[in-house]
Amino acid sequence: MVIELLTKRYPGMRAWLMQRLTALIMAVYSVMLFLRICILQPDTYAAFLEFFQPTWFRIASWLFWISLSIHAWLGIRDVFKDYVPNMQVRSGLLKILVVLLWVYIAWASWLFLT
Amino acid sequence: MPENDIQASRKAKAKNRPKNLNLLTIRLPINALVSILHRATGCALFLVLPIMLLLLQLSLSSAAHFEAVVSILNSPFSKLITLGFAWAFFHHFFAGVRHLAMDVHWMTTLMKARYTSKIVLVLGVLATLVLAIKLW
Repeated sequence: MVIELLTKRYPGMRAWLMQRLTALIMAVYSVMLFLRICILQPDTYAAFLEFFQPTWFRIASWLFWISLSIHAWLGIRDVFKDYVPNMQVRSGLLKILVVLLWVYIAWASWLFLT
Repeated sequence: MPENDIQASRKAKAKNRPKNLNLLTIRLPINALVSILHRATGCALFLVLPIMLLLLQLSLSSAAHFEAVVSILNSPFSKLITLGFAWAFFHHFFAGVRHLAMDVHWMTTLMKARYTSKIVLVLGVLATLVLAIKLW
C-alpha cells in the first residue's frame, strides 16, 4: 500500500524508491563479492573460472548489473537535468545514455548468463 | 498596458540578476563536499563500465588473455588508475550508505550530518590506502 501510494500518487517517488532499492542490492552484492574474493582469492585462470562458475553467483551478478543500469540511468539523468539546460542537447544525451546502458546490459547478460 | 509593463520589467530584472558561477567564490561546507563527490564519483564509475566489462570478458576468455589482463593491471600506471577508481567506488559506497541512513532518519541533524560526512571522507581514503598496501 505504501509503495502504491508512493508510485501512483507521486510518480517522482518511483525514481527515488528505485534509486534506493537498486543501491541496496548493489551494496549487498559488493560486500558479498568482496568477501568472496577475500576467501577464494582467485589468482590463477582456473581459480578465476571456478570463481565465476556457480549459477547463483552468475544470477546475482546479473541482478547487480540490472540494478546498476537502473541506478546509473536515474543518476546520470539527474546530472543531465541539472547541467544541460538546452533541451535538444539534453534529449540527445539521454538517448545516447539509454543506448549505452542497453548495450552494456546485453554485454553483461552474455557474460553472466551464457 | 500595465500588465505588460510589469511583465517586461520582471523580465528585465531577471536578466540583470547576478550569476554566481565562479567556483572559487563558492564556499563548500563538508556536507556539500561529500554530496558533490558522490555525484562526481558516480559519473566516473559510469564512464569506467565498458572497461570493466572488457577486462572481465578478456579474463574469462582464455588463460593467455587472463595472464595479459593480470600483467596489464600489474603495471604501476594501472595500479594508480585502479586506486583512483577504487577510491571513487569506496566514496560512492560510503556516501550512499550515509544517504540511506538519512532516508530512515538517522544522523539528520546538522552536527551529526557533519560528523558522518567526515567519517565518509575518512573511510573512503582509508579503504583506498588499505587497497594500495595490498596492491604493492
